Amino acid sequence: MSTLVNRRTLLGSAVALPLLSACGAGSAGAGAVRFEGWDYESQLVQQNLDRFTAANADIKVAYTPITSAQYVRKIVAEFTGNNGPDVLYSYDDSMVSWVQAGYLQPLDGLPGVDEVYSGIYESNAKAMTFQGKRYGLPYYTDCHGLTYNAALLDKAGIKTPPKSLDELEQQALKVKNAGVLEYPIGLAAQLADTWSSWVWTLVYGSDAALFSDDFKPTMDKARPIFDWIHKAATVSKVIDPASLQLTPVPLDNAMMAGQYAFTIGPRYALRTYNDPAKSKQAGALKLAAVPSLDGTARGTVSSTRMYCLAAKTAVKDKAVKLLNFLGGYGSDGKPSTARFWFDQRGLGFPFRQLADDPDIRTTLAKFTDPETYTKLSAVAKPRNLLGAPWYGEYESAQQKTVQQLLTNQTDASAAVSSLSETAISLAKKYS
Amino acid sequence: MTTIPLRYRVPWKKIAVYALAVVFALYLVLPFYWIVAMSFMPEVDANSVPPQWIPQHPTLENYTAFVDPTGAQAMVGSRAVRETPFALGNSLLVALLTAVLNLVLGVFAAYSFSRIRFRGSQVLLMVYLLTRMVPGIAIIIPYYLLMRELDLLDTYWALILSYTTFALPVTIWVLKDFFRAVPRELEDAAKVDRCGWFRMMWSVVLPVSAPGLVAAAVFAFMTAWNEFMFALFLTSTAASKTMPVIAANFATDINTQFTVMAASGVLAVLPPLVLVLIFQRLIVQGMAAGSVKG
Amino acid sequence: MTTSTVRQWSDNTRGYAMNAPALIAILLLVAYPIGYSFWVSLHRDNLAQPAARKLIGLDNYLSLVDDPAFLASLRVSALFVLVVLVVTVVLGLVLALVLNETFMGRGVLRSLVLLPWAMPGVVNGLMWRTVFDAKTGALNGVLTELGWIDSYQAWLASESGAFFFTAFAQVWNTLPFTVIILLAGLSTIPRELYDAATVDRAGVVQRFRQVTVPWLLHPLLIVLILETMNAFRAFDTIYVLTGGGPGDATTTVALLTVQRVLTYTDVGLGSAYAWVITLITLVISVAYVGLLYRRGSFEV
Repeated sequence: MSTLVNRRTLLGSAVALPLLSACGAGSAGAGAVRFEGWDYESQLVQQNLDRFTAANADIKVAYTPITSAQYVRKIVAEFTGNNGPDVLYSYDDSMVSWVQAGYLQPLDGLPGVDEVYSGIYESNAKAMTFQGKRYGLPYYTDCHGLTYNAALLDKAGIKTPPKSLDELEQQALKVKNAGVLEYPIGLAAQLADTWSSWVWTLVYGSDAALFSDDFKPTMDKARPIFDWIHKAATVSKVIDPASLQLTPVPLDNAMMAGQYAFTIGPRYALRTYNDPAKSKQAGALKLAAVPSLDGTARGTVSSTRMYCLAAKTAVKDKAVKLLNFLGGYGSDGKPSTARFWFDQRGLGFPFRQLADDPDIRTTLAKFTDPETYTKLSAVAKPRNLLGAPWYGEYESAQQKTVQQLLTNQTDASAAVSSLSETAISLAKKYS
Repeated sequence: MTTIPLRYRVPWKKIAVYALAVVFALYLVLPFYWIVAMSFMPEVDANSVPPQWIPQHPTLENYTAFVDPTGAQAMVGSRAVRETPFALGNSLLVALLTAVLNLVLGVFAAYSFSRIRFRGSQVLLMVYLLTRMVPGIAIIIPYYLLMRELDLLDTYWALILSYTTFALPVTIWVLKDFFRAVPRELEDAAKVDRCGWFRMMWSVVLPVSAPGLVAAAVFAFMTAWNEFMFALFLTSTAASKTMPVIAANFATDINTQFTVMAASGVLAVLPPLVLVLIFQRLIVQGMAAGSVKG
Repeated sequence: MTTSTVRQWSDNTRGYAMNAPALIAILLLVAYPIGYSFWVSLHRDNLAQPAARKLIGLDNYLSLVDDPAFLASLRVSALFVLVVLVVTVVLGLVLALVLNETFMGRGVLRSLVLLPWAMPGVVNGLMWRTVFDAKTGALNGVLTELGWIDSYQAWLASESGAFFFTAFAQVWNTLPFTVIILLAGLSTIPRELYDAATVDRAGVVQRFRQVTVPWLLHPLLIVLILETMNAFRAFDTIYVLTGGGPGDATTTVALLTVQRVLTYTDVGLGSAYAWVITLITLVISVAYVGLLYRRGSFEV
C-alpha cells in the first residue's frame, strides 16, 4: 500500500505546485549572491569576480553563465519558477519587460547609483531608465557606424567614405562596375531574436524616428530610408541578396575575407577586423559616421548591456556591493570593471571619462580612429521604442518587412503602412 | 558477341541495389564529411573559395582547444569549449540510462498490448501517444516548476525522467508489434516447460524480438542524445549540461570560429556513432535473427 | 465454473498491472504539465504583464481564426509536413528495401544510416548552414566545380529556396528513424511468403504489394504518425538555418509557438497554439489509423 500513498502525495504535491512555488522563494545557497549572465568570456568574468571576493571576504558570489543564445528565455523560466538570481545581466531590449514582469527592482537611492548615472553617456542612462526609474548599472555599450574597406574602395578610385546614402549607393556602384565586387554591401539580415541593428542605425543616422516617444508610429519620416534599402537591393543591386542568410558571425567572416566593401555594424567588430592574426584585411577596415539622407552626420543607435538587481533578492546589501563593483566605480573612483572589459576585449565603455584617457586612446588607435569612435558615442541614442511592452513583437515584424524589401516583395510605402498597422494593433493587444 | 546467351540474365536487381547503396551512402556521408574536413582545417582554409575538399594544412588545434582552451583558441567562447568534455559524458550517461529505463518500463506495457485482450487497451494505446503529441514547448514551463519542486534541477535525473516519458510511447508502440510477431508456439512451448512469465520473456520472447528491442533502445537513446529545449531549461552547469546545449552556444557566440564549431559538431556525433559501430554486429545479427524466424 | 469470466477478469487486471509502471511514470511526470498548459491556454497570460492576467475561456482559441501570422504558419507547416513526410517515407522505404538485400558492405551502410540520427537538431542546423553558406559553402563549391552554376548562390535567400533546403536538411536528420523501423519491420516478414509468391510467378511489384506492404502496415503507421509529429514540431534545424525567414517562408507553427511562449513570454496564447498543434496531430494520427485499417478489424 505504501506505493499508493506515495503516488497520492506526489500527485497531490503536483497539483498544488503553483501555490508551493509561490512561497518557496530562492533559499538555496543561503548567503551567497547568485549572479547570472550570458556566457560571453565567462572565465574572464570569474577572474573579475575573484578580485571582488578577494576584497570583500564576507561576500560569496555564486556565478552561473548561461548559453547566450537562450539567455533571455532561461532567465524568464527561472523567475517564473521563483528560482531567479540576485544580480543578473540584462539587454536594453529585455529590461522593460523584466521590470513589468516584476523581476527587477529600481536602483534609485541606492549608494553609488547617482554618481554612475552622471558619469555615463546620455544614451546609456536613457536605455536603463523606465518610467523615470533607474534599473541598471552599465556593463558595456556599443554603437554602430559605417564600416568600409579602404583598400577595396581604393581599387575603385574612391578616397573618402560616403556621407550620404546616395553617395554610399554611388560608391558601391562604382566598386561594382569596376569589377571589384559584385555586391559591395553586406548586411546581417537573417531573422533573429535580437534586434536588426543596421536598420535602426540607418534610421537614427538620418534622425528619422520611426516612433514618437509615446510609441505612436511616425513612419513617414523613415520612408525614404526604406526606399533606399529597397532600391539599393533591387535596382542598383549593390546590397548582396545573400544578406538574407547572414547572421553577424558569417558577416564578420566575409568582411575579414574582403568579400564586402561596406557594412553597417558595431564599432566593436573593428577590433577583430583589424587583427592580423584573424583577418586577411587587417588594417584596411575603417569606421565612419552613419551615412544619412542629407549628408549631415546626425546620429546613430546605441545598445546597452547592464547589471540589474532582482526584485526578490534576499541578500540586497551584498548584491548592491557587487552591483557597484561591476557597473560602478571602484574605491579609487574609477570604473574598474568597465575598463577591465575594454582592456581585455575592447568592449565599449559607457563612462565618458574613459574617452579622454590617453591609454585608452592609444589602444583604440590600434584598431580604429579614436575620434570617429568617441564621436559616435556622443551622438548615439537608444531605440525610443524600448519602453513599449510590444517592442519584441514589433521588431520581429520589422525584420520580416525589411527582408521583403530586400527581395522586392514590397515597396517602401507598403512597408511603412504595414508596419504602422502592426504597431497600432500590437499596442491595442497589449493595452 | 552478337547475342547474349539465353540463360544469361542481366542482374538488374543487383545493379540497382549497388547503385542505390552507393547513392545513399554518399547522401548520408557527404554533409558530415564536410564538417569533419572543416574540423581539421585552420580557420582561414575553412573559409576559402573554392572549398578545400581535403584539408591542405591539416591541424588538430580545433580539437586540442577542448582540452586546452588557453591555447591558440583562447578567444573562442571558452566556457563552452571547456565544458564540452563534461557535456559529452553527461549526454552519454543520460542517453544510456534513458534507453535502459525505457526498455524496462516499455517491455511490460508492450507485452500486454500484444498478448492480452483487456478492456480499453486501444484507448490506452492512443493515450500513450497523445502524451507525445503535446508539443514540448507547451509543457516546458510547468515541467520546470515540477522539477524544481522535486529538487531535480541541474541533475541527470530531470533529463532522464523527461526523455523517458518522451520515448516511452514510441517504445511501447514499436515493441508491441515485435512481441505480436513472436510465434505463439514458442511461448506455449515455454509454458509447457513450466517456465514462469519472466523466464519465458527472458529466454524466449526477448531474444526473438531482438531487432525491436534494438530499434526501441536506439530510438530512446537518440531522443535523449538530441533533445535541446528541455536540456537547456533543466540544466545549468557542467554537472548536467548536454551536448546540444553546448552546441547551441557555438551557433551565436560572436567569437565562434567555424572550425571549432565543426569540431564540436563532430564530437557530438562521434559517441553514438562509435556505439553503433561497436554494436553493429549485434544490431545486424538482431535484424538477421528477425528474418529467419517464423 | 465459467473459465471465460475468470480469464476476462484476470486479463483486465493483468493488462493494467503490466501497464502500471509505464502509466505511473507518464502520469507523474507529464499529466500535470499537460493539464497545466491547457489551463494556461484559457488565460490571457503574458509573463511580462502579470497584472493583466485573467481567465478568458476560449478567447485565445477563437482569436486564432483571424490571426494572420498563425494562419500563415499553419499553411507553411502543412506544406512542410507534406514535403518532409513524403520524401522521408519514399526515401526511407527504398533505403530499407536496399538494406534488406544481401550485398557487400551492407553492414557498413546499416551503420551509416544511423549517422544523421546521432546528430542533434541544433548541430544539424549548424552543419547545413555551413553547407548552404552563400560565401564559402560546400554546396556552392560542388556545383561550381561541376560547372552547374557560374557564381556562388544565396540558397536560403529566396522563399522557395529557403523552404526547400530547410525541408531537405530536416529529411536528412529524420530519415534514420524511418529506415530503422521499416527495416526492422521488413526483417519480420517470413521468407516463405516471398518464396510462395515467387512460385506463383508474382512480379516484383506484385510481390511488393501482396507480401511486403501488408506486413509493413504496422511499422508504416508508426512512421507516419511519428514523422508527422516530428515535422510538425521541427524547430531546431529551421531556427538555426533561417530563423523562419525570408519573410514568413519558413515560419512553421512550431517556430511561431516557441517564439510566442519564450520570446514574447505570451504563455497564454502560446499554449493555445500548442494545443492546436496537438489537436491537428491527433486528428491526423486517427486518420492514419483509419486509413490503414479500413479493411479488417480495427486494431492498432
